[in-house]
Amino acid sequence: MEVVTHVLPEGADLPSAKASLAEHLDVRADRATSGTTTFYDTFDGRLHAAGLTLRHSGTELVLLDRETGATLASAAAPAAKRLFDRDLPEALRARLAPEMEMRALLPVAKVRTHRLPLAVLNGDAKTVVRLELTTADNGTRGRVTATAVRGYEAEIERVRATLAETLALPEATVPLVDEAIAAAGGDPAGTSSKLALTLDPDEPASLAAATVFGRLLEVIDLNLPGTLDDVDSEFLHDLRVAIRRTRSLQRQFKGVYPERLQHFRDEFKRLQAVTGDLRDLDVYLLDFPELRDSLPEKMRADLDPLRDVLEQRRVKALTATRRALRAQRTGDALAEWNEFVTSRRPSDRTVSDLASHRITRVYRKMVKMGRAIDDDSPAYDLHELRKVGKELRYLLEFFASLYPPEIVKPFVKTLKGLQDQLGRFQDREVQANALRDLAPAVKGHPFTLMAMGVLIERFMQEEIAARAEFADRFAVFASKAQRDVVKEHFG
Amino acid sequence: MSQVLATYNIKGGVGKTSAAVNLATLAAHGGDQTLLWDLDPQGASTYLFRVKPKIKGGGAKLVRGKTDADGQIKGTDTEGLDLLPADFSYRHMDLALDGAKTNRLDRVIKPLSEYRYVFLDCPPSISLVSENVFEAADALLVPIIPATLSSRTLDQLHEVLNSDAKVLGFFSMADRRKKLHRELMEELGREHDVLETVIPNSADVERMGAERAALVDFAPRSRAARAYADLWTEIRERL
Ligand SMILES: Nc1ncnc2c1ncn2[C@@H]1O[C@H](COP(=O)(O)OP(=O)(O)O)[C@@H](O)[C@H]1O
Ligand SMILES: [Mg+2]
Repeated sequence: MEVVTHVLPEGADLPSAKASLAEHLDVRADRATSGTTTFYDTFDGRLHAAGLTLRHSGTELVLLDRETGATLASAAAPAAKRLFDRDLPEALRARLAPEMEMRALLPVAKVRTHRLPLAVLNGDAKTVVRLELTTADNGTRGRVTATAVRGYEAEIERVRATLAETLALPEATVPLVDEAIAAAGGDPAGTSSKLALTLDPDEPASLAAATVFGRLLEVIDLNLPGTLDDVDSEFLHDLRVAIRRTRSLQRQFKGVYPERLQHFRDEFKRLQAVTGDLRDLDVYLLDFPELRDSLPEKMRADLDPLRDVLEQRRVKALTATRRALRAQRTGDALAEWNEFVTSRRPSDRTVSDLASHRITRVYRKMVKMGRAIDDDSPAYDLHELRKVGKELRYLLEFFASLYPPEIVKPFVKTLKGLQDQLGRFQDREVQANALRDLAPAVKGHPFTLMAMGVLIERFMQEEIAARAEFADRFAVFASKAQRDVVKEHFG
Repeated sequence: MSQVLATYNIKGGVGKTSAAVNLATLAAHGGDQTLLWDLDPQGASTYLFRVKPKIKGGGAKLVRGKTDADGQIKGTDTEGLDLLPADFSYRHMDLALDGAKTNRLDRVIKPLSEYRYVFLDCPPSISLVSENVFEAADALLVPIIPATLSSRTLDQLHEVLNSDAKVLGFFSMADRRKKLHRELMEELGREHDVLETVIPNSADVERMGAERAALVDFAPRSRAARAYADLWTEIRERL
């Protein structure tokens, strides 16, 4: 149904807004209600990006289309402090789960609102357009929303004309949720952990590196509170990606830093290590439902004792990670690192020169390593190739803005094709080993062990299947065409 | 797919329209998209919803698929409740349904799957229309006035029923203070599967004509309105 929203005059309350509407339209008022409206989104604004608004008011969660304000789904639910997909009422879960994935929905704005539903009537006193007046206590202007009634679509045009022309109320261009979040000091689009950097190719490498490192530190800072509060698993994930990216650039650009770099490399290595167990357990727990479902129906419940073990271990890992991240040493290391990278003198070499050099070197190294791999090579060789591939991936991400997108994008895609295959291969091996390592922890549960055995068998099969794909993926990555591209644009 | 519920009785004036309007309104209040198709050329429920009893091109074109039902649906004062209005031409509906190889009512209803519930408010008769309704409906909601002759209603219905639609009879306009009513309800309840909820005889229900609204909307706390709410709960349990 068509919906139009107009903004009420500054300072207008419900009675005055209703009175001015009633001068021009035959309206019948329903009961006015007041209440707190809470808007939800993930930390990184996934609902915003998907064109959705989730709002709680009264006893109901309502999912709306961001642009039109049309209701997509609603269900009774309390205003929780945090909502995972599994906490959502069925009617909302289907629509939201694919957007949220592992992320939690958090309150992003809370507003005290007053609403008055009105019906616009025809000569038979029948509702032909629904109106809703809304005002909020957060200093933003009130709104009037008109929704067409099926079979009376022509009437909304008349109402729209009354609002826009007779009453001179401007059409609302910013969704209410954005205004509420902005009024609360937030960003409606959420907090991104993406790099999104634009670098100047002629800039000294040390200054460009400081920009990249600075952004990575920012991502670490943004994700630290959510990691410590254990809000959802993605905070730690994004934090660790920023640490890994930092370490990668430290290695690739080590020539820029003749002294003291080792100290910081050691500190970031330590940060990666102290967060590793927790992340591994997060991954096992995130994968758990899928693993369980992949078992034959009657074995599924057998796996549950394993989840208990994982959860117990995660509690311990969380405590350890928190202690390490809260430690004075960690805070000092991050502050000193920031100081270190921002106080560098401009290097002689430009960033485009150094980046191109590193990209070429790492690419060539991968080609060489990959060519040496045949069917008899140990798994280790493939894992090493994947590691170097990650370095190349990060370089292309850091310095994407220095090269034409039509060169970088297909390059990343080819690399990703290879990395995904190597990743599947390694992950299956890691998963199989992890289950083996966990076996003693569930030794009192023979059925659990059997279920784990079934999974290990499957992982090993998939590992073999993934390895078989290697030759094809690598051939594309190391093709003459791709080598020529690297030579021409990065050489 | 929608669940199709028809208020049916061979007789008029037994509370079919009152039940259809109130139950459909309750369904919409419960958050389910609901449609009421007023099949009675008299258009009583269309009148109650303040909608013009008009189908473009008439009922024959509608059931033959020449007019798109979607374009004829009207929103009501209740959110989530829509109406497919009556039209005076429905009095010739039998002609329009005659000779068709398929169930034409069913063909109109099937595509309206966005509705969780479709209520059919039927005219009083046994005809091709009712045969089509029996086939299309998942359940027949049959109001029974506890009077001597009414007790034959369910027997007669089972004699003509050509489908496996559930038959859910319920007492309508009942007066527990009347000895005859009590006795008849007891007797019928023993012989037939009749729902427990009883819609009492009440001046509040009659007021619907003047208010032109559902009782459950303008007097939700009245005894009869609460009876409709109980009836709706009981019906849903039986579906
Ligand atoms: N429970 C009731 N108590 C009193 N009057 C009723 C009751 N149910 C219906 N009526 C009245 O009886 C008349 C016929 O009811 P209606 O629902 O239109 O029956 P039908 O659709 O079977 O013809 C209407 O005037 C209506 O207001
Ligand atoms: Mg009737």
